[in-house]
Amino acid sequence: MTLHTPPTRRDFLYGLGASLGSVAFSSLQANQAEPQTVTPSALAPQPPMLTAKARNIIMLFMEGGPGHMDTFDPKPKLTELHKTESKSTRSLATGFKFFVGSPFSFSKVGQSGIDMCDQWQHLRDPSVADELCNYRGCQAESLNHPEALFHMNTGSRLGADPALGAWTTYGLGTTNQNLPGYVVMTELAMPQGGSRNWSNGFLPAHYQGTRLRPSGSPILDIHPPSHKTREHQRKALDTLGFLNRQHSQRHPEHKDLAARMESYELAYRMQAEVPSLMDLGQEPDYIQTMYGMDDEVTAPFGKQCLMARRLVERGVRFVQIFSGGWDSHDYLERGHSSRIRSVDKPMAGLIKDLKNRGMLDDTLVIWTGEFGRTPDNNKRGGVYSLGRGHNADAMSMLLAGGGVKKGSIVGATDEIGAQAVDVRHPIRDFHVTLLHLLGLDDNKLTYFHGGRFKQLSQFGGKVIHELLA
Amino acid sequence: MTLTLTNLGQYLLWVSTCAMLLQSHGRAGDAAMEKLFTLKVKASLSEKCFACHGGQGDKIKGGFDLTSRETLLKGGKTISRILVPGSPNESFLLTAVRWEDPDYEMPPKANDRLTAEQINDLEKWIAAGAPWPTEERQAEIRKEEQTVRQTEDGLLVDTSGGQSEEWTFRRYQPADVWAFQPLSIPDVPKNGEAHPIDAFIGERLKKAGLAINSNATPRTLIRRAYYDLTGLPPQPEAVSSFTRAYAEDPATAWESLLQKLTASQHYGERWAQHWLDVARYADTGGFSNDYERSNAWRYRDYVVRSFNEDKRYDEFILEQLAGDELADQSLRTRSETEKAFHQARQAGAYTQEESEKLVASSFLRMGPFDPAMVKAPEARQLYIDDVVNSVGQTFLSMTMRCFKCHDHKFDPLPTKDYYRFYAAFAATQLAERPAPFLDDENTDAFDGNKALSKTLLRYAREKKTGLVEKRENAAKEWYRAHNKDYVSHTDRKNLPDDEKPPRHVGLDYIDEGRLKVREQDEWIWNRRLERYEPMVQSVYNGPDPKFLNARKLRMAANPNMAWRPDSRILEGGALQAPGDPVGPGVLSAIAIPTGLKAADPYALPDEIEGRRLALAKWIANPRNPLTARSIVNRVWQHHFGQPLAGNPNNFGAKGKKPTHPELLDWLAKNFMDNGWTFKRLHRLIMTSKAYQQGPTRDDLEAVLEIDPDNELLAYYPHRRLTAEELRDSMLAVSGELNPGIGGLPIMPDMNLEVALQPRMIQFSIAPAYQPSLTPEERNRRSLYVYRVRGLADPFLESFNQPSPNDSCEMRDSASVSPQAFTLLNSDLVSDRSIAFARRLETEAKTIENRIDRAFHLAFSRPARATELEKLSAYVKEMQVYHQAHPPEERTYPTSITRSLVEEFSGKPFEYTEILPAYERYQRNLEPADVNAHTRALADLCTLLFNSHEFLFLY
Repeated sequence: MTLHTPPTRRDFLYGLGASLGSVAFSSLQANQAEPQTVTPSALAPQPPMLTAKARNIIMLFMEGGPGHMDTFDPKPKLTELHKTESKSTRSLATGFKFFVGSPFSFSKVGQSGIDMCDQWQHLRDPSVADELCNYRGCQAESLNHPEALFHMNTGSRLGADPALGAWTTYGLGTTNQNLPGYVVMTELAMPQGGSRNWSNGFLPAHYQGTRLRPSGSPILDIHPPSHKTREHQRKALDTLGFLNRQHSQRHPEHKDLAARMESYELAYRMQAEVPSLMDLGQEPDYIQTMYGMDDEVTAPFGKQCLMARRLVERGVRFVQIFSGGWDSHDYLERGHSSRIRSVDKPMAGLIKDLKNRGMLDDTLVIWTGEFGRTPDNNKRGGVYSLGRGHNADAMSMLLAGGGVKKGSIVGATDEIGAQAVDVRHPIRDFHVTLLHLLGLDDNKLTYFHGGRFKQLSQFGGKVIHELLA
Repeated sequence: MTLTLTNLGQYLLWVSTCAMLLQSHGRAGDAAMEKLFTLKVKASLSEKCFACHGGQGDKIKGGFDLTSRETLLKGGKTISRILVPGSPNESFLLTAVRWEDPDYEMPPKANDRLTAEQINDLEKWIAAGAPWPTEERQAEIRKEEQTVRQTEDGLLVDTSGGQSEEWTFRRYQPADVWAFQPLSIPDVPKNGEAHPIDAFIGERLKKAGLAINSNATPRTLIRRAYYDLTGLPPQPEAVSSFTRAYAEDPATAWESLLQKLTASQHYGERWAQHWLDVARYADTGGFSNDYERSNAWRYRDYVVRSFNEDKRYDEFILEQLAGDELADQSLRTRSETEKAFHQARQAGAYTQEESEKLVASSFLRMGPFDPAMVKAPEARQLYIDDVVNSVGQTFLSMTMRCFKCHDHKFDPLPTKDYYRFYAAFAATQLAERPAPFLDDENTDAFDGNKALSKTLLRYAREKKTGLVEKRENAAKEWYRAHNKDYVSHTDRKNLPDDEKPPRHVGLDYIDEGRLKVREQDEWIWNRRLERYEPMVQSVYNGPDPKFLNARKLRMAANPNMAWRPDSRILEGGALQAPGDPVGPGVLSAIAIPTGLKAADPYALPDEIEGRRLALAKWIANPRNPLTARSIVNRVWQHHFGQPLAGNPNNFGAKGKKPTHPELLDWLAKNFMDNGWTFKRLHRLIMTSKAYQQGPTRDDLEAVLEIDPDNELLAYYPHRRLTAEELRDSMLAVSGELNPGIGGLPIMPDMNLEVALQPRMIQFSIAPAYQPSLTPEERNRRSLYVYRVRGLADPFLESFNQPSPNDSCEMRDSASVSPQAFTLLNSDLVSDRSIAFARRLETEAKTIENRIDRAFHLAFSRPARATELEKLSAYVKEMQVYHQAHPPEERTYPTSITRSLVEEFSGKPFEYTEILPAYERYQRNLEPADVNAHTRALADLCTLLFNSHEFLFLY
C-alpha cells in the first residue's frame, strides 16, 4: 500500500471534476443508505491554519450603501446643521450642497449601550443587541456601486478576483459534500456587477459561489422537465455510465473521466437533497414567525435568513444574502425606514435562533453595505432633496458571534460622519480580520496566478484586533 | 558569557570596536566580504527587510532598524542581540530569517522569505565579522560590478533605467529573461526526423528515452483537424471519403484535407474566437451601465475576415493598433485641403479599404469601460492603463500592470517604460466614428432587427409621454392655483422651490419609478438603432475631452493637434503623484530602436498623430523577439491544447518557461521568413508526426513515470470541447446549424429564467433578453451570440466561456456540477435532441440503423455490437415509458411584469415590459410536438451529447 500524502492546497490545481465545482461529492453524512466513496476533493474539509473562532460566515449585504448616521452611528451635529450649506466633504457631485440631519431619533440599547435609530424594533431587543459589535472604522475606496461591491466582496475594485467566500472555501473546504460550500442568495434582481461578486476569480471553479435563485428553480436546470421522472433519470445515468465506461477503458491516459462521471452521480444526489433544503415548511411556526415570514414586508429576507441558518447547519461554509434598495439619494426617511423594516426582524430572528441553537459561537454574522453615505446632499431638480450621496470614507458595520467582541462599538467617525477617525482601516484589513477569525492567515492563503502569489488583501493587510473578543 | 543589562552597553561598545578594527585592518578575504555585503547581503536586507525595519520614527517595526551597522548593533525594543559580529548563531537576525522563533518569523509573508542562498550569505558575512564598508566604498564596489555583463549572479539587462541604481543594475537569471533575448537561429536537430518539428520534439523525447507515438487512426485525425481548423465536427460522408483516401495515400489525403479546411469560411470563425478571447470581445461596455457597443460586431467580423484572407500578422497588428491613423493617412492623401480632409472625416467618406482599417481599430475599444461616477482624469487613466495592459498581453505576451506602480519586480521593465508606453496612448480618444459598411459585411438581418428595436422604442416613448403629460397637467394646475404663468419642466429646474410645483407633481411613487424606467428604455432603444448605422467603435487622436460619458462618445470636429499630453511617471501609479516627465516610447529591454531620434533610441514621435502607428511598427518589427514568439506560441497552443511557453499572456520571469525553447524560436523565425501567414503555419504544424500521433499508447504507465504532464508530447493531448464548440457541435449533429457568416449579434434561446430575470443597471432594470425570431437565426454559430458583459449566456458560461472583462490566454475546462444539470435537463439540449432524433428518423429506418447513424454523426464512427444491443433496448424501454408520460407544452410570455424598488421612496412598484419577440417567435420542435418514439430516440441523443466521447477531442 502506498501512503498517500495530500497535495498542498495552495500549489495544486485540482484536476478536472475531482469535485463538482459548486458542489462536491462524497457524502460524509451518516444517514446515507450506502457508504459513499470518499475521493480527495478540492472542497474536502481542511484544518484551519490558526486557532479558528468562527467556522462559518453569514454575510448580510445591504446593497446600495446604508447611511451610517441613519442606522447605528448618531450624529446630533447634523441635526443642528440641517439644511445649512456644506462645503466639507468630497463626493463626486458638485454644486450647492447642504447638510442633512437624520430623520430618525437614536437611543442606546441593551446593557452594552449600542446606538440604534428608532426604526430598529427587533434588533434593539437586549438579547440580540448585546450580541452585536458595531464597527465604525472601515473605509471603502470606490464611490461607484459595482466597483465598491466588488471591493467589499473580492478585495479588488475590478471585479475579476475571487470573492471572500471563494477564498474561505479554498482555505477551509466545506463539511457537507452534497451541497456547495459557498451559497449566495439575492433578490429577484442580481446586485450590480452580478455574479462577479461571488466569483471564483482565478481560483479553480469549484470555489465559486452557487446562487440559490429566489424563485423558480433554486439552481438552473436542477430538475428535469416534468415528463422525466427520477426513474427515467436513473435509467439515463445507467446507460450513460455504460457508454462512458467503454470509452474510459479505451483512454487510460485520460485520468479525469471517472470524476466527470461521478459528477453526474452527485448531481443526481443533489436533486434529492436540495428540495428538502429549500422546504422551509419543515420549520415550526414559531421559528417562521421569529424570522418574520408571516409578514409580507419581512418575508423575503426572513426566508433567506432562515435558509442561511439551514445551510450553515448542514455544513455550508459561507452564506451571503444580498438585499438592495439602500441607495437613498432622496426621500431618505421613506427609503431607509422601509429597508430597515424589511431586514430588522429577520436579522434579529437569525441571531436569536443561532444563539438558541448554540450556533452563534462559531458562526460569524456580518451586516454591511459597500460604503456609507455622506452627511450632505445636493439639490436635485432644484429642491432640497433629503437624501445622501455615496461615502467611501465612513460606514457602519455590524458583526455578531464567531469570535468578535460582543456588545461593543469599535472605531468612530467624525462629528458629522464624513470620515472614519478612529480604528480606521481599509477594506483589506477587514478582510484579513475575517480570515483571521476563520483561522486563516491572509499572507499564507495564497494562490499563484498571473506571475505572482495572490491573496485576498491583494498586498497584505492587518488584523483589526479591536474587533476580536 | 551571559549578558546583563548593565554590561550590555560595554559589550556592544567592545563588539563595535572589534568590528571597526576588522574594517580598517585589511585582511585577506576582506575585500571579498565587503563585496559580499554590498552586492548580496545589503541587497537582500534592502529588498526584504528595510520596508519595515528601516527609515524613521515609529514606522520601524519593533524598533529594529537594519539600515546601518550601528542601529543593527543597538538592537530593537525587546531583543538587543540582533547582530553579533563573528557569531552568526548568536545573532537574532539569523534566527528571525530562518524562521526558528515562531514569534519572529521574518519577513512574515511566506512568499517573501529569504532564500537559502541569501541566508547563507548573511551567515558568512556575520561570521566574517559583519564588515560594513562606507557608502563610498559600496558605491565603488557596485560601479566595478556594473561593468561586467554576466557574472555568476546573472545577466545585466540594459534598460532606460529604474527608479534606483540597484534596480537598474540588478542581475537576471538568463532563463528568466529568455523572452527578451533576440531570437536564436537554432539548427534543426539531426536525428533522422524528416519534419523539423518532429526533429525538435523527437530530440527531447529521445533524451528521455521516448519517441513520438504512432499515428492516430484516420477517424481520430479527421475529427482533430476539423475541430482545430473549423471548430465543427466532420459529417459522416467526409469521414468515410477521408478514410478511403487515407488508406490509399495518407500524406496526400491529409494534405488535401488541410487544404480544404483552411480554405473553409469556418476556419476564420474558429480562429477569430481564439483572438477574441485574448482581445476580450463583447457587445457591451460593462460596469454599472453596461452600455451597448452597437457596432462591435463589425470588429468581430473583421477578425474572421482577416483569418480567412490569411492576412499577414504584421499587418493585422498595424491595423488593430493604428487602423484609424492608417485610414486617416490615406484619406488625407486623397483630400485636396486640410479642411476637405476634416469634412470627409466627419462625414465618414472613407473607401472600403480605409473603412476596414477603422473597424480594425475597435481592438482599442474592446476592454470594459464606463466613466460613470469617475472623475475625467481618473477615467482616462483607467482607459489607458487597460489598453496598455491589453496591448502588452495580446501582442507581446507581457503583463504590463506589473510595472505601473514601481519598476518590475522580476522583469527588466522599468516603470519609466510603462509611462513611455502609456504616453503612446495618451492622446488616444474614444469615439463612435462614421465608417461605411463594407461589401463583405453581412447586413442581411438589419431589417428584421430594426423593426423590433423600433417597436420597443415606440412602446417606451408612449409610456413616457403619458407620464410626462400627467405631470405637466398637474404642474399647470399648480401654476393656475398659484396665479403664475406656466413654466416648462426644463425651464423651471433651477427656480427656487417656492416658485415652482414639487418636483414630481401629479405623480405618485409608482409613476415616478415608471417614468424613470421608460426614460431609460427610450435611450437604450435609441442607442440600439445605432447598430444599423455605418458607425464603428473606434478612436482618434486629440486632446482629452472635458466630459466623458460612455453613453455617447463622438469625435471632436477639429481637434487641436498641437496639444501635448503631460506625460509623467506616476509614482505608485497615482495621478496625485506625478513624477518625472517622459516622452512616448517603447520597451527598452528589448533593445530594438525605433530609429526616430538619435538621442533617444526608443522614442516614439512627439506628434500626437502617429504614435500608435510607430508603436505598432516597433511591435511588428521582425527583430522584435516577443511578437513572433507570442503568436506562434498561441497557434501551437490551439493545435496541441497546451502552449510551448505555458503562459501565453506572460513571457516574463513569472510565466512558465518554454518546454521547447529552440522549437519556439525556430517556429517564430520560420513564421516571419515565410510572410507572417497563419494558414501555412497550421499546415506546417499539422503535417508533423507529433501532431498526428495517437492520443494514448501501450506503454502509457512507463511514459507517465517519466513525463506525468505530457510536457514532452509522447502522445497527443486530449482536450474538452470549448463551450462554443459544444453548442456548435450539437447544432451540426442535429442538422440545425445555420452556417451563415458574420453580421449582427444573434440571440439564441436562453434558459427562460435567466432571460427574464431582472438585471440591474445603473438606474433601472435592463430590458429582458429576447431570442431571435426564427430557428435559422438562432441556430447560428456561438461566435455570433450577443455578448453582454453583465449577462453571460448560462449554457456557455457553465462550460467555462471566459468573462470578457479579462484577456483569456487559455480556456478553463473544469467540470462543475451545473454542466451535468444543463446537459441533462435543459430545454436547450432537449430541443437539440429532438431535432437530432427527427434527423435520424428521416435518414434511417430501424432503431439499430438510427443508432448507428447517430454514432456516425456524433462520434464519426459506427456503433459497436454491444452498443447497438444495449442502446436499442434502452430506446425500446423509453418508447414504452414515454407513452405513459406525455410532456407539457411550453408557453412563452409576450409581456412581463417587473417589480422594482423606487429609489426615493424605498417602495416597490410594478411596470410592464413587452416581449414582442415572442409574439412572432417561431418555436423549435419541442417534446410535446413529437410522439413517444421520437422522444425515446431523443433520450438516446441526449445521452450521446452527455458522453465523454462527444465532449472530448483526442
